[in-house]
Amino acid sequence: MASSSSKVQLIIDGKRTDGRGQEDLRNLRIEVGVIPEADGSSYVEWGGNKIVCGVYGPRECIPRHEASPYHALVKCRYMMSPFASLEEHSRSGPSRRSTELSKVIREVFENLVMSEKFPNTQIDVYIDVLQAEGGTRTASVTAAAVALANAGIPMKDMVSAVAVGKAGDLLALDLNKMEDNFGQSDMPIAISHRDRKILLVQMDGLLTRDEIAKILGMAERGCDQVNRIQADALRRFYERGEEESVRW
Amino acid sequence: MGEEVKDIIMANIRRDIMGNTLSKGIRFDGRSFDEYRPIEVQMSVLQSAEGSAMAKIGQTMVLASAKFDIVKPFADRPREGVLVTNSELLPTASPSFEPGPPDENSVEMARVVDRAIRSSECIDLSSFFVEEEKVLGIYIDLYVMNHAGNYTDTAALAATAALMDMKMPKVEGGKIIRGEYTGMLNPTKLPITTTMIKVGSNWLTDPSREEERVLETALTIGTTEGHVCAMQKGRGSLSKDELLERIDIAFKRGDDIRRILKG
Amino acid sequence: MERRIVLPGEKISEGRLNAPNTYYDSGITYAAVIGMMDEEGRYIPLENRYRPNVGDVVVGMVTDVRHAGFEVDLRLPQGGFIPTRDVRLTLQLGDFVICKVKSVNEVGDVDLGEVRRLPKGKIIEFPSAKVPRLIGKKSSMLNLLKDYVGGDLMVGNNGYVWASEQSDMPLLLAAIMMIEKKAHKHGLTDEISAFLQSQRGERPAGSRESGEEGQTAQGEEEITGEGYGKQQF
Repeated sequence: MASSSSKVQLIIDGKRTDGRGQEDLRNLRIEVGVIPEADGSSYVEWGGNKIVCGVYGPRECIPRHEASPYHALVKCRYMMSPFASLEEHSRSGPSRRSTELSKVIREVFENLVMSEKFPNTQIDVYIDVLQAEGGTRTASVTAAAVALANAGIPMKDMVSAVAVGKAGDLLALDLNKMEDNFGQSDMPIAISHRDRKILLVQMDGLLTRDEIAKILGMAERGCDQVNRIQADALRRFYERGEEESVRW
Repeated sequence: MGEEVKDIIMANIRRDIMGNTLSKGIRFDGRSFDEYRPIEVQMSVLQSAEGSAMAKIGQTMVLASAKFDIVKPFADRPREGVLVTNSELLPTASPSFEPGPPDENSVEMARVVDRAIRSSECIDLSSFFVEEEKVLGIYIDLYVMNHAGNYTDTAALAATAALMDMKMPKVEGGKIIRGEYTGMLNPTKLPITTTMIKVGSNWLTDPSREEERVLETALTIGTTEGHVCAMQKGRGSLSKDELLERIDIAFKRGDDIRRILKG
Repeated sequence: MERRIVLPGEKISEGRLNAPNTYYDSGITYAAVIGMMDEEGRYIPLENRYRPNVGDVVVGMVTDVRHAGFEVDLRLPQGGFIPTRDVRLTLQLGDFVICKVKSVNEVGDVDLGEVRRLPKGKIIEFPSAKVPRLIGKKSSMLNLLKDYVGGDLMVGNNGYVWASEQSDMPLLLAAIMMIEKKAHKHGLTDEISAFLQSQRGERPAGSRESGEEGQTAQGEEEITGEGYGKQQF
């Protein structure tokens, strides 16, 4: 998080760097069932983010000793590709950041997946970020919800996620990479659709209590927008019935 | 009973049933023995890499990213650029892929594709010198996104397409200016690999996942327009005559695929 | 009422419905998996993970032979089990079987009974949610396939289909893939029939009655249909 005396101009003529209004989402496109081998899958393009999610399960729990006789284990692996950044090529493999994100994303779905129906099994959620531009974790949650629905894994609710925050002194929805890097606060949040429960929230930077109350409202409205796009993607896929080639 | 013994018994049963269909000169998916599944290539799928392509052979999908970086040259070749090829069998791509570092199959695939590209001399690495201790390096990442059989050929196809797609970056003061380009890489050759397997007495080109499960011999041959540029035998054995026959098929199919790439 | 797609967490009805793939909370039943509300307001899951129920007909392959019994791959996270004392057959590794689910316990162990060994053949995977469509009303779709493809077919609720070795595999696989992709469309049986005809000519002699043509959506998608309950056994 940069200090508020950062020289980067995040608001130009009252508009954000990419011309969006305060509560405008970046372009969000979702495709369902893009990985035929997987039990469920999705592809999300959100701003400059490109994310693939594949779901397997319930399947045999490995290692065996980790299995629970009461419910399925939900496992999540979030990975950033070495070619995802617009800058340098980085090293492959897990990082501390990807380990943390795998955990917080898993904790979203532990609330929703009706895991008691499948004791002694595991459900795997694999998230691969092919291209990153700020907000990969919220795009990942959004993708995973669609992939789990595509896999037919029973869930209590759908969930959508978006990042809210403060950039250039403006409270804003769906921060892009510049706003994330140079803004004053970033708060990714995931909200379940029917129940309106917060299933993921993280925050850095500085915000007053009132500012947070305001952006929580913005987040709910943002998540509703995202949910509409998830629902459209799923309906399109199931009404179509046949697989068309996905344009990546 | 040991896992391996079980696998062998299962494979034998599957091979038996497949043999019935093969004896009629056709495969389970209706293809003839030397036919590829439908092939599709989409280029420029990533903006974060100078070159990229998604290749599809049947349902097998591989994403290739080709990205430039400034790197240190090898000590024995101080004025030559560097080519590094890595692969990932994404656990998303198949119930049989586990998360973790690349296993022997993943590593083999990356090295075979790398060999085909390097031997083909389709890129002039000596043109990548920047300044003392700095050369341009190309990182090719091969991401297997869906495994329905023969990810090797799909990966090689994606890699070659990504190189065709690749822009040359602007280099200033020993640094890459991202987002600014000076032209295209323009590889001078198009290396393609052709993978073939033997089931019973039948050689099948472009094996499906099911066919791979019952293979007795595996062979991958890389070709350019006029030469063989790579060979890799996997499991099993074959005769000299069989190898020469397979090379002929590899040239035919390689040329077919090069035509698709050139559009 | 119009057909519409419902997502997990969407309301299906007031009161407790007690249908699979739904859940009940504070007076309302909700969908737990993606499904469809049909013209009669009934909820039909479009995807689901198969959970064995006592009495289900299942098809599988013997993957382990132990002193106490046989383990059977049923395309579930855990294998099904046939206790030796319950079966007169001596099964071998790799044998195909059709049987009934005898019991399921809280940790997911499945015991199998009424076991019949199937002859040499091939196992094909098919989504369990769409199995009723593969069988069809009064087995119409299944019989259609058997007539054109030759050989015998057995369908398990668990999503395994067994085809005997005499079957025309490429034709069968192509037809099954079509059925999978178009499972909830109207007039599918006619479409498959037309496809099979175009590949094979007239329906081979000695074919049985094809059942009622022009079934309503109700018949085609009936999840609890008698189709598989009474299947060849």
